[in-house]
Amino acid sequence: MIRDARPNRVLVSLMSLGLLAWLGLDALSVAPNRLVQGTPLNPVEALGWWVTLVGALPMVCVVWLAWRPTAFRLWASLGVVVGLLMAMPLWLSGAVVAVLDPELPQARVGIGPGFWVLLFLWLLVLVELRIRLRLRRAWVWGLLLFVLVVWGIALSHWLTPLALVQEYQARSDQFLEAVSYHVALVGAAVGASLVIGLGMALTMRRFDGLRRLGFGVLNFLQTIPSLALFGLLLAPLAWLSHQVPWLGALGVSGIGWAPAWLALVAYSLLPMVRNTYVALEGVDPGVIESARGMGMSRLQVFFQVRLPLALPVMLEGVRITTVQAIGLTAVAALIGAGGLGTFIFQGLGQAAMDLVLLGALPIIAMALMADALLGALAERLRRREAA
Amino acid sequence: MIELFDVTRRFGDETAVDRISLRVERGEFCVLVGTSGCGKSTTLRMINRLIEHSEGEIHLDGQPIRDFPEDQLRRRIGYAIQSTGLFPHWTVARNIGLVPRLLQWSGSRIQDRVEALMALLGLPPEFAHKYPHQLSGGQAQRVGVARALAADPDILLMDEPFGALDPITRQTLQVELRDLQDRLDKTIVFVTHDMDEALALADRLVVMHEGRIVQQGSPIELLRAPADDFVASLLGGDDRGLKEAALVRVGERMQPITPKVGEAPWVSREATLNQALSLMLWHQTRHLLVVDDADAPVGRLSLDALLQKAHHE
Repeated sequence: MIRDARPNRVLVSLMSLGLLAWLGLDALSVAPNRLVQGTPLNPVEALGWWVTLVGALPMVCVVWLAWRPTAFRLWASLGVVVGLLMAMPLWLSGAVVAVLDPELPQARVGIGPGFWVLLFLWLLVLVELRIRLRLRRAWVWGLLLFVLVVWGIALSHWLTPLALVQEYQARSDQFLEAVSYHVALVGAAVGASLVIGLGMALTMRRFDGLRRLGFGVLNFLQTIPSLALFGLLLAPLAWLSHQVPWLGALGVSGIGWAPAWLALVAYSLLPMVRNTYVALEGVDPGVIESARGMGMSRLQVFFQVRLPLALPVMLEGVRITTVQAIGLTAVAALIGAGGLGTFIFQGLGQAAMDLVLLGALPIIAMALMADALLGALAERLRRREAA
Repeated sequence: MIELFDVTRRFGDETAVDRISLRVERGEFCVLVGTSGCGKSTTLRMINRLIEHSEGEIHLDGQPIRDFPEDQLRRRIGYAIQSTGLFPHWTVARNIGLVPRLLQWSGSRIQDRVEALMALLGLPPEFAHKYPHQLSGGQAQRVGVARALAADPDILLMDEPFGALDPITRQTLQVELRDLQDRLDKTIVFVTHDMDEALALADRLVVMHEGRIVQQGSPIELLRAPADDFVASLLGGDDRGLKEAALVRVGERMQPITPKVGEAPWVSREATLNQALSLMLWHQTRHLLVVDDADAPVGRLSLDALLQKAHHE
């Protein structure tokens, strides 16, 4: 099915870069305690030449396989890359044991640039292989689940000296709370903007004058920097909670969740309204005309025809909005809204990079997951009616 | 029966349809024809109130259409358009069953009706679960017609339903529609700008120009006596002779004598005069042998007979 005899340049270059990163960059750093800058170590320094060469072998193998990429060779490459992703935490576990001095219980291991670069490159290889082999997204996510299981086992059993793990263990309660708070805030903002956005899009479709005004206001809102918007909301909300006691009792004040939620909704509205509007307008007028001509009432036309046909494009709006809100919520930590951003700003304040990672990595993971999930849903809806 | 009395439709200052009166009898196939923007589509859509008329009255079986709630009215009238308007997120079966479902028929009754209509329009049963984008243009249009016929309406409105199809598919569907009309006896109002299509289908041809009806009558009447130069040129100018010949079957012109077998090139009794003329030109002959469906000779057609009859009668 795949008869391309020329080298797959993407795979070859990605894996060559991976080799360079493996051999040339620092994979780890070791520090005697939390506050001291660590000493960087490359794979050779950590576990010696032999292990390093054995580690390089699978990557050379993929370069060789990708040089003449038949279907079989691509499948083999897929196996190798998944194997590499699974071996990564195991290698890390071995390295942790090897480099740590048992006499220094406070010592911790940081993950170095080489490691991140490799992770990034291998995931790109996975994406390329998915496209070449025409695999379903869900299928690849299934594969990654196995990788995650291996990572989970390694992290909970052998990788405790890892700085990231130690930062987590120091605040595991806070972490769970922060994640759920982050998700709740994003959910509430996206949910509210979906309802308001649908209402606005419907109103704009009715009244042409409102359409220009509406998009003007939303475009303007989008240009305000997020921090400034948080600041702008501070005074009016503080005043409001003072004037209306039950709002104060709900926890509305100049700082905290209320301004964060309002700002998130404000930023979410433009993509939401634009996509909803375009989606509703984009439905084939012939379909609408025949629906009316067959004797469907206006409500039936809307709910049975226009809305379902607009749904894939509307979902696209939800996807953009969700990913954007997940990132913005991190900034909202600055005004005391909580969430994973708290760790990032604490870490920045204490110059503890691993604490920053503890906040940043879950945010990235959440954004990727939301993107993949909503994208897959939209694709599924769209596939049925692809014209 | 559909009646229009002095019906006018204005869009702002523009008058799209200007005081037209029209009467379409029960079971009649009425074709509105004219150049783009002549008001033919507007006229069609006023009948099912997709466009409201500004002045005048439109009656359905003697009752003003404004007496009916619009949705109820439309469910009684079949409607098919050029882009088919099939719902892309619904299967063929669900699309066809749309109006029966709106009329709250029982599930089994809808299913029976859908199966019957698919058979009627030559759609294989396995199409029921396909989606519109999986169909060819001709198949989709058959589904569109089936959907229009679903609740067995007395009246069918069709707005250039075959306009987007290739010539061969279009002709097949025209023949089938005409056939269907003969069997089902619906009152059909059909809009097209394709004169050949209009001539092939119409019992009554209505020529519109700039929002008015310029002339109406049977295809033969219009071909014989076009009201003015516009109608004449619309009907094909100098090609009118051939168009008229296309409306007459060889069987109506032949002399029913038993000819000598193998005498001349043969033509089917069901063929039209223009096809016969074409054969004469092609074979450079003045006589054709006429055969029936079983290819048995039944008569003879001469060039003189063809020409003479075409001019008198």
